[in-house]
Amino acid sequence: MFGPRLVGANGISLRTPTLEDHKRFVRWMLEPETSRFWGGRIADVRDEAFEERHKKDADSTTSFMWSIAYGDETVGFTGIFGIDWVARDGESGIFIGRHDLYGKGIASEAIRLRTEFAWRELGLRRLHNWISLRNRGSRRGNEKAGYRQMGLMKRYTFRSGQWYDDWLGEVFSPDSPSATFSPPSKGG
Amino acid sequence: MFGGVVRGTKTTLRPPNDTDLDAHKRWAADMRVRRAGPIGRWHEPAATETWKERWAEQAKDKTSVLWSIDAGGAGTANAALAGYVRLSFEGAPHSDKVILHQFVIDPDQQRRGYGWDAALALHRWIFDFMNLRMAVVDGIAADDTGRQRILEKLGYERFGHGHAVYYRDGAYVDQYLHQMELAAWHERWPNEREYPPLGDEKAL
Repeated sequence: MFGPRLVGANGISLRTPTLEDHKRFVRWMLEPETSRFWGGRIADVRDEAFEERHKKDADSTTSFMWSIAYGDETVGFTGIFGIDWVARDGESGIFIGRHDLYGKGIASEAIRLRTEFAWRELGLRRLHNWISLRNRGSRRGNEKAGYRQMGLMKRYTFRSGQWYDDWLGEVFSPDSPSATFSPPSKGG
Repeated sequence: MFGGVVRGTKTTLRPPNDTDLDAHKRWAADMRVRRAGPIGRWHEPAATETWKERWAEQAKDKTSVLWSIDAGGAGTANAALAGYVRLSFEGAPHSDKVILHQFVIDPDQQRRGYGWDAALALHRWIFDFMNLRMAVVDGIAADDTGRQRILEKLGYERFGHGHAVYYRDGAYVDQYLHQMELAAWHERWPNEREYPPLGDEKAL
């Protein structure tokens, strides 16, 4: 599914993605400035592939996806994917394609809007994500929205002679019960 | 894709065939299997035609592999379907790691060592045959001690602990995440090889 329009602070909003947005997202992912912590910089850029992917995202019953707008301009995307409607849990993700706008708080505000929507409109109770440990901006944006570390995967990605670990985060809705189960043999 | 033959001591991983479909229908509807969460739940119960479509999709999907697990010797009169395993190549098509998504032994055939034997054979394929860098299991329920014991014996390390992730039996249960790297495989299982080493070619 595509998400509805959510208006945030400082000219930042989430809005329903268009096919043109989708083409921008993929082309941004092919640039070195955006792919240090993201993917393999390869993509199927045929028009029919864009249309197929766009329709698939729109038809999905287990995901919500938004374009991120700064002013009137699309600058990236965010979403909640693989939603388990029984456990009310989903995986979140974000990508800012306009690298010249890094550091302006766009991702932080987009994550805040997305997280609020998950609690208040979808009735979800948990979100989780995987972020490169070295991607401090993305990690900080998620931590501001309440995400806390739940794991650290060693040597997830290799770039330019270095291994990058992956940071695993989770956040719970304010009204989620805090009781959890861990067997004593596993430190519970 | 469907996986090819990988032989263990008690079990054999082999390509699925149409006669396995009934068992998948049964496992998908068995609460003993589903209780494990995502690692025991490939699909929801469905009609036979839907299962055939799912298998056709799986056969075409180049990013994941499905095996049937036989117990009693593949291709022999004693062979009997005992479970299945399914993994995906993370970041395909240039993947160097796999994620193990489902690993199921029929509840009526458990406690016979089939799970361990099939897991060891599978990891021989992952590390010794395919030379992949890492295997990941990110969907084990915290109280699923059987699968955790297998992972620990293989040499997996736990790298994550998700809180209150799965819902069943009227309560939430935590999630453990595990990873194992090629070096750990070589260190722990140096003699677990698909083929014996060949002699020096120059000496032949």
